[in-house]
Amino acid sequence: MAANVEIKQEPVEGVDLETRIINLCQQNPSGINEETIKDDMPQFDVKQRVTAINRLLSTGRLEIFKSGSKLIYRIKDGQSTNSQLKGGDNQEKLVYQIIKEAGNKGIWIRDIRYKSNLLMTQLNKILKNLESKKLIKAVKSVAASKKKVYMLYNLEPDRSVTGGAWYSDQDFESEFVEVLNQQCFKYLQQKAITAAEGKSDPVAQKNGSYASSSEIWTFISKLGISKVQLAVEDIETILDTLVYDGKVEESFLEAQSGDRKRLYRSIKPLIETTGLMRMPCGSCPVVDQCREGGVISPLTCVYMKDWLS
Amino acid sequence: MSKCKVELAYQILKELHGEVVAEIARHLMKFGPRHIKLISEVTQLRVNQIKKGICILIQHNFVKFDRNKKGVTEYAINTDAVSLQLRYPRYIYCAKTLYGDAAELLVEELLQNGQSLMSIASERVTQRLNEALEATGNPKITSSLVRDKFGLLVKTHFLRRCQTVLTDDENRVISSEEPKETESLFILPPLEAGSKRKRNPDGSGPPSKRSKMEEMDIPPDDGVYWMINVERFHQYFRDQLIINCVNSKIDKQAGEIIRNMLRLSEIKTEPHSTVSATMTITEIFHSLPKELGMTKHIVEQYLSILTEDSVDVISKVCDSSGGLYVINIFKVLKSLCQAHIESFVQERFGSKCLRIFRVLILKKHLEQKQIEEYAMIPTKEAKELLYNMFAEHFITLTEISKTVDHAPSRTYYVFRVNIDQVARIILEKCYKAAGNAIIRRQMEVAKHKRVLDKQERVDAIIASLDQAGADEAQKEEIKETITPPEKEQLERCRTTVNMLEQSEIQTDETIFIIETYLYYSLLNTPIK
Repeated sequence: MAANVEIKQEPVEGVDLETRIINLCQQNPSGINEETIKDDMPQFDVKQRVTAINRLLSTGRLEIFKSGSKLIYRIKDGQSTNSQLKGGDNQEKLVYQIIKEAGNKGIWIRDIRYKSNLLMTQLNKILKNLESKKLIKAVKSVAASKKKVYMLYNLEPDRSVTGGAWYSDQDFESEFVEVLNQQCFKYLQQKAITAAEGKSDPVAQKNGSYASSSEIWTFISKLGISKVQLAVEDIETILDTLVYDGKVEESFLEAQSGDRKRLYRSIKPLIETTGLMRMPCGSCPVVDQCREGGVISPLTCVYMKDWLS
Repeated sequence: MSKCKVELAYQILKELHGEVVAEIARHLMKFGPRHIKLISEVTQLRVNQIKKGICILIQHNFVKFDRNKKGVTEYAINTDAVSLQLRYPRYIYCAKTLYGDAAELLVEELLQNGQSLMSIASERVTQRLNEALEATGNPKITSSLVRDKFGLLVKTHFLRRCQTVLTDDENRVISSEEPKETESLFILPPLEAGSKRKRNPDGSGPPSKRSKMEEMDIPPDDGVYWMINVERFHQYFRDQLIINCVNSKIDKQAGEIIRNMLRLSEIKTEPHSTVSATMTITEIFHSLPKELGMTKHIVEQYLSILTEDSVDVISKVCDSSGGLYVINIFKVLKSLCQAHIESFVQERFGSKCLRIFRVLILKKHLEQKQIEEYAMIPTKEAKELLYNMFAEHFITLTEISKTVDHAPSRTYYVFRVNIDQVARIILEKCYKAAGNAIIRRQMEVAKHKRVLDKQERVDAIIASLDQAGADEAQKEEIKETITPPEKEQLERCRTTVNMLEQSEIQTDETIFIIETYLYYSLLNTPIK
């Protein structure tokens, strides 16, 4: 019975020891030595420690260093890729390192070349190699359509690279933005009208015409015009364009949790078209060259003639 | 001084006072104060002609004169005053809506003559009114009624006395100046005094009229000349703008509250101050007419809405006595001016440009990339729109170099909008447009001169036939001398002229708002 228990406990403890060593390493990124392990978990004897460390070393999760006469164990980062990089040479490792540093913003091939001091042909070969191993990937940036940036294969590209929800294949979808812009405005307008009809109290009228960004977001999501899932922030950028158009006003509401809620409402324009623009001279492209007796003259003006007839 | 404004002033003067006067005025506008000899040398006009022309300009308060150090009288023109003639219809209309027909005619009379005596102006207006009343079969009115109206207009500062004249030792008029106390501009002369003073042979009376006046009895208020107080009219227009702004931004009731607030603070507010005098909420509530049926609670609510509004029409300055409020005159004017500028940008460049323009106004300084992101316009399109506006100087660019060599690759290019500058550009375009409308209108009239003359002749004949008591058949016959194609031509000419005149007035509205804004903005900029 007792022996049975011991057999069962042995592997459990072995695994337990391994994870504890890993944890310990994570706590001390500069590395640990035999002493630290011994102090931390005195219940395990040397034999158990050795088997555990050997297993970790063989699976590539730990690195072993020598400092003075002591051995130091340190956690190995990117364990899985390193094993894949195994076949590559130093140059490949270097390029990989550079790309990794760039994070999810990616890095341009020319910048890699400057940093690595490699020849273009060599670099191209390495990049192709890495790509075929699925360690890195090339992403087209929206900022410059011909510019490719490289990043690690498993990373999600940054918004500045893909452009967020408003881009599909590096193209800005201005129609999509325009449609959303109009729909949001319609919603707010409708809200203002119902508020004006329903209430006589001026403050209630004003408050009733406000809609929060999340309300508008639900409305837009229900409409189903968008194929991609939009976030509330995306809708807020659309609403901001309405503010810039001068059709909508923005206000903030201090929520109880401390974060600000953004409210929007449609507003009426302050004036009708300005007086100047009601005659052709206002929008005339050549008004600067217009003078009596000149080639362009108010007496012979074609715009005037069209307008007056 | 702007070239377009001079051109506009020239066109206006040419139309109303003839070529010679306009030529003299243009010369003075271009070169500043000058004496008669110099004007005559350059313009190739006879001294006699110039003297007469300048008389007309002085009569209409366009030209001021002063003796320079050498003892020669120099004449200086006020271009603003000249171009204000575009606004005369509005002054007349304003007087009509505020104080009725008599006031309308009084203002018209004074605008037509530039300056006039109270007795003469009221006399003429009475005559004209009576003629009109007789024609419609109404009883006549007395001249004292018109005089009362005159008194009312003076009391409300819509009319003012002309500047007092300065004379030298030999009793010659050498200059004129504003009296030190502004109140003295609005004192009515005692009309019943009737003391027959001897007229000064070198008196301040305009020479063109003097000969006529000497034949007549000397009026009791001789020497006290009156003119339109343009500033008071402008103040009224400005208040009207503020009310309209609130009307369209919030609603009619809020507009009524602002109207009453403006009335309350009218006397207490310093002229050209950026904010009005303070008012308590009780004052505002009690000043409101009872017909509106607003409770104090609703007034309070409206005041809080007005305070929170994005235009910032009023602000609460203090909590004492239930809240003290002021009207932010300058802020409203700024929003209005900006609205007009935005309207211009929208029509001229399109709504996407307006978005970029407003992004720049709201965010002050931006790089090109940021503009694209905020406005959500694709790079290529945004560039085109932005540079279009940049080419027309609606947007300014600042280079901020990271290094001393100003290399483009190491420089930030920051775009921004300078509202005052854009306002001036549009103002310039307004002057140009108004001038063009006048030129075009004159051409249209000249083109149809033959038909118009004919129409006039026919009208005259019919009128004389009417007096002679001719029958309908005869009149019909005369009427038929204008052929159908001619009639059509006349009709077309009339609509064209109407359209152009209307756009002149509409353009002037834009001019008024921008000019008022720029004036206030200049007052507000600290002198460096």
